[in-house]
Amino acid sequence: MRPTVSVFFKRLALTALLAAVPCLAAAGPANALNVTPASIVMDAQYSGVDLTVTGSVPTGADVLVRVTGTPGELHLREKGKVFGLLWMNVGKVTLSNVPSVCLIAASRPLAQLGPVAASFRLDALTKAIGVEQQGGDQSVDIPHELLLLKSREGLYREGAEGISLGPEQGGMQPFTARVGMPSSLKPGTYQVEAIALRDNAVVGSTSATITAALAGFPKWLSELAYQKSALYGVMATVIAIVSGLAIGLVFQSKGAH
Amino acid sequence: MSLSMSLYLPIAGASVNCLAIFGLGGVVGLLSGIFGVGGGFLMTPLLIMMGIPPTVAAASDSNQIVGASTSGTLAHFRQGNVDIKMGLLLLVGGIVGGSLGVQIIAVLRRMGNADFLISITYVLMLGFVGGYMFLESLQAMRKSSDAAGRSESPRGESLYARMMRTMPLQLDFKRSGIRLSVMMPFLLGMLVGVLAAIMGVGGGFIMVPVMVYLLRMPMHVVVGTSLFQILFTCMNVTVMQAAQNHTVDFILALLLLLGSAIGAQLGAKVGKKLGGEHLKILLASLVLVVMVKMLYDLLARPDILLTYAGGH
Repeated sequence: MRPTVSVFFKRLALTALLAAVPCLAAAGPANALNVTPASIVMDAQYSGVDLTVTGSVPTGADVLVRVTGTPGELHLREKGKVFGLLWMNVGKVTLSNVPSVCLIAASRPLAQLGPVAASFRLDALTKAIGVEQQGGDQSVDIPHELLLLKSREGLYREGAEGISLGPEQGGMQPFTARVGMPSSLKPGTYQVEAIALRDNAVVGSTSATITAALAGFPKWLSELAYQKSALYGVMATVIAIVSGLAIGLVFQSKGAH
Repeated sequence: MSLSMSLYLPIAGASVNCLAIFGLGGVVGLLSGIFGVGGGFLMTPLLIMMGIPPTVAAASDSNQIVGASTSGTLAHFRQGNVDIKMGLLLLVGGIVGGSLGVQIIAVLRRMGNADFLISITYVLMLGFVGGYMFLESLQAMRKSSDAAGRSESPRGESLYARMMRTMPLQLDFKRSGIRLSVMMPFLLGMLVGVLAAIMGVGGGFIMVPVMVYLLRMPMHVVVGTSLFQILFTCMNVTVMQAAQNHTVDFILALLLLLGSAIGAQLGAKVGKKLGGEHLKILLASLVLVVMVKMLYDLLARPDILLTYAGGH
């Protein structure tokens, strides 16, 4: 029964961790995680944003910063060969426990951080994904293909960039991480974690949550499109016709012989 | 003062560069104005390349075509190039055929091979239409340069012409300068409607050859009438997509529209300067290029074996 109990306590600890955001977990006082901006405003000007994550880790430790979206279900089509010649959609795939976003930055190349760091990387993430294939080729590595798809969209990324460590102060070292959030972000809650690694062991971790929400004109438009969809459709059509006529008239007055 | 050209589109869920979208609209609008096609078969893939989700790209493109074809129809109408009677008959046939096509797709999806049939229909239609138009225009251009006189049509055509003449419900189409049965545009409109619904496009690139070769309308009237017909088809698609699937990004459409409406106006003028045969051979080449691209996509191994459900 012991493992179950320990898992329970871990969960409890995690819950407490999330409740007291921003907060600290393992080592030393005053290593709270600070994320700016604390909330992402997706207005008409929004085109992705750089998150600045600051905190401190025990001296000599490396930092890994991870931003993840809420895991959810994803329905995709699988491509395969038909008649040994033509590539087209041959099956449906339902994936569960897929984070919408996963951005990983580290203070050193990830391969140098040892096996412990591997558990925080994209490959580890794909192992936790549930795959349900309907038709299609069973030998295809679906989680790997998902990784490629999400990486191409800029929603999954990992690399040793954007983290700088400051001078030591009383056994702790401050760090600043810059994580570029993609423009194709969905509104919702995102978790920011900072993990301190030293000698292939986790020596500290903190986390914080941030929210991304539509604002201004995009918010108004999105509400209209989803809540009064028929009206929105008619409005879109009428505006298109009026604009078309207006442009036509402008050309008439200019182009009349 | 630095003016940011990026704009966040909440329905598409992406940030785009206004100028790039505007320019894309302009280029496709120019083609649309010259050839009388909606340009959906070009615009949608280009939008997807710019990071717009496929379903949003297709639906917003329909919305854009509403504006562009309004502008284009107006320009052609002023030049007396819209056969409204013919357009309405094609439209009614197209709507009946479109509904039929949607049912056919639903049955095929249940049988599990819809995607295969959609792709094959696409490539075959593009290849057939493009190839036939190309060869025919080439022949006509050679003939007109060889001799000014027009030779009589071959045997096969006279049989078709006799059939056209003997069908009931004959009607004069003054704008097009032809007389034929009401049944013809209705049935052909329906055929195009079925194909367009299966392929998920407006069908302009099938409708234009049908009007030229099967209804024997003069090319300049074909373009105006095609745009007139497309206007109504796309109005229907826009409202349906917005209401059912929430995939119409009207800001994206408006940006494309500004570009494409201007392009379409220029296109109508350019089209008038180019000869009918030149127009046909250009459109044929365009259709063939898209066909080759689609064929390549079918034959080459994709980089990623997963795609988002939705678009074809």
